Amino acid sequence: MAAFVPGAVLGALVLVVALAFGGRGLGVALFLGGATYVTAVAAAGTGIDASAPLVAVLLLLCGELSAWSVDERLGIRPTPDLAWRRGVGIAVLALAGLAVATLVDALSAVPSSHGLGWTVLGAAAALGAAGTGIWVARR
Amino acid sequence: MTGYIASRLPAYAALAAAGLVAGLALGRVEPVALAAPFLLALVAALAEQEPQVSARVSLDRDRVIEGDEVTAVIELSSAHGIHRLELFVPLPPELSAEEGQARAVRLRAKEEQTVELKLRCDRWGAFSVGRVLFRARDALGLRSWEGVAGEARPLRVFPSEETLRSLVPPLETQVFAGNQVSRARGEGIEFADLREWQPGDRLRRVNWRATALRRSLWVNEQNPERNTDVVLFLDTFAEVRADGRSTNDRAVRAAATLARIYLQRKDRVGLVGFGGFLSWLVPASGTRQLYAITEALLTSQVVSSFALRGVDVLPPRTLPPKALVLAITPLLDDRTAAALLDLRARGYDLIVVEVSPLELAAPAPGSSLELAHRLWRLSREALRWRYEQVGVPVVTWREGVPLAVPLEEVNAFRHLARPA
Repeated sequence: MAAFVPGAVLGALVLVVALAFGGRGLGVALFLGGATYVTAVAAAGTGIDASAPLVAVLLLLCGELSAWSVDERLGIRPTPDLAWRRGVGIAVLALAGLAVATLVDALSAVPSSHGLGWTVLGAAAALGAAGTGIWVARR
Repeated sequence: MTGYIASRLPAYAALAAAGLVAGLALGRVEPVALAAPFLLALVAALAEQEPQVSARVSLDRDRVIEGDEVTAVIELSSAHGIHRLELFVPLPPELSAEEGQARAVRLRAKEEQTVELKLRCDRWGAFSVGRVLFRARDALGLRSWEGVAGEARPLRVFPSEETLRSLVPPLETQVFAGNQVSRARGEGIEFADLREWQPGDRLRRVNWRATALRRSLWVNEQNPERNTDVVLFLDTFAEVRADGRSTNDRAVRAAATLARIYLQRKDRVGLVGFGGFLSWLVPASGTRQLYAITEALLTSQVVSSFALRGVDVLPPRTLPPKALVLAITPLLDDRTAAALLDLRARGYDLIVVEVSPLELAAPAPGSSLELAHRLWRLSREALRWRYEQVGVPVVTWREGVPLAVPLEEVNAFRHLARPA
């Protein structure tokens, strides 16, 4: 595990630099963090890491909160409810992301040949994802 | 309206794609779980529709005086609602907003919202206010749309005026009735002289005391009240500007003050803007002429030009004979100096009010520019001496001094110089 600390530290440093320079390099910081985690998990061997959804949500929160702090530097005087709405939006996105990531992790524990029901459920999930993508593209 | 995506969205898309690919390549579910929240954020961003914004701007007043405040009211509405609408009202440098020019509000669907901006008019001029730049964002700031709304509204900021109790009387008057006591003889109120009675004189003009003393009929002569023609000669070739103050600003304020007061006395007032952009108003009287002069002053500005100009380019009616020409100038440009001497040579009653630029162009103590500054002041003294030699009073109006002070110096000059 100690071998992956430099990667995490580098990601943290890039994040600090991104915050200091108006958000430039934020994607690189998130990518370094995610890559470090994936590499550590792959090196750990077999077995599902139950903390993956939490790491995913923490990365997302890192990105969203950093972007929010950069946006607030604009100095435009907002009405009081605007900050609350953005905070609530980020919280809802984080919770929804946590739920989806947890679902992905849980579904991966189901054996692939478990039966027709799971196959139908998987197909429905794939159709739902495709339909969502088409609906978003047409808006 | 132009749409933009946040700079982190492509990073989210790249993370999500990298996570899915890594999951497939490594045969593990953790990278896919890592990508899931970012995919969700992408869907949330792409699900937002382009908003429709309608904005209407109105001003509570469209004519104000320098230093006054104007309230701009922006009425906003949107068919579908906007989570965060950022507004920016571009203002010219002469106007300032007390609490900033930008606001951020939330618009509910089909609900009208009003935003008020208090604008302070720091300087005179003619402006257009009303175009609003806006940026509509979604709740997470992942997408934004920028556009322009509203229509520009005219705003006239009139120059503040100086307090003057008396004006410079002209040497010559015109033939129409006015408030200025003429040097000619005729029907009037002011006593002028006595003379012997002549056939046709009215009985009521007989001075009985003089008649009793001299034992023949003697009558009173009066000075009639006549109006005058005044031409305000505004030098717009050059100005000195520092720390938000300018010689042209003070010159325009002086011109506005003099125009109003001379027009109140039923005199005819004209205006000549002599500079890179030549403009003129033929002398006339009345309220309409006051508005015309004020409008011309609002749009006057110093325009740099290298064109040779003289007063011969002006239409003859602009400078009527026997008119009083009041030149308001910082005496920076040789062309103005030559034009004024030309006016004097043509016999006009000329007064030069020098709007002093020395306070705005003072060098730092001990600097190498001090010698140049002294030479510049000496050249200005020499120019004033040339004017005084030909009988033109040149008075210096310094910053912080009321306009009445240099105008009184004109009266003193005339009393001592006694021009022909």
